[in-house]
Amino acid sequence: MTSTSNSKRAAAHRRVLSVAVAALCREAGFDSSTESCIETLTEILQSYISECGRSAKSFSELTGRTTPMITDVAMAVSQMGSDISGLREYQRKLSRVKIPKQESMYPTGT
Amino acid sequence: ERLNEAIQLAGDSLEDMLNHMADYAPTVPEAVTGYYLNRAGFETADPRLVRVISLAAQKFISDIANDALQHCKMKGSVQTSRRPGKQDKRYTLTMEDLSAALSDHGINVKKPVYFT
Repeated sequence: MTSTSNSKRAAAHRRVLSVAVAALCREAGFDSSTESCIETLTEILQSYISECGRSAKSFSELTGRTTPMITDVAMAVSQMGSDISGLREYQRKLSRVKIPKQESMYPTGT
Repeated sequence: ERLNEAIQLAGDSLEDMLNHMADYAPTVPEAVTGYYLNRAGFETADPRLVRVISLAAQKFISDIANDALQHCKMKGSVQTSRRPGKQDKRYTLTMEDLSAALSDHGINVKKPVYFT
């Protein structure tokens, strides 16, 4: 890859990404994972972000701009196979407060 | 004319979404996303764009993890039926389930045979 791949800076960012991947797997419902799975998902995440940036930049340059707009990002994301309007739904699902298990309000039996 | 209206509407909803995204910090840190975006040549003064990409990437990984969990559960349901009564099932993400989930997303992971 690039010359910065092996630098400490890149390694630090990479580590943060793998922590995020682990957190997401945990959130999905997994209790443990093999090392290679986390590594694979981290690689995918990094590629996804990089490709998104490259694509959004290309879309903005195609219209003669130098700075990307939200429409360019939307185009880039939809080119990668997902829809940006689905993000709202996803976000709502994440931030939904979980209601803890309620104790029965009424005495039962006796 | 109607097309213009539709485009205007789509633009509005995007802008609307962008504004609603302000009050949520994604699991994938924006600083890290920004670093990789900058490395790809993407430069913006608007932190909301970075946040959108962060969230999109996060959703991508989440979807894959969810699919892998479904694969894991489907496989596990056969195994656990042998031992009924065990309530707390532990799910481990393995390469087998992950590659099945990834191939649903069009990503082909090939493991070298000599890889330990």
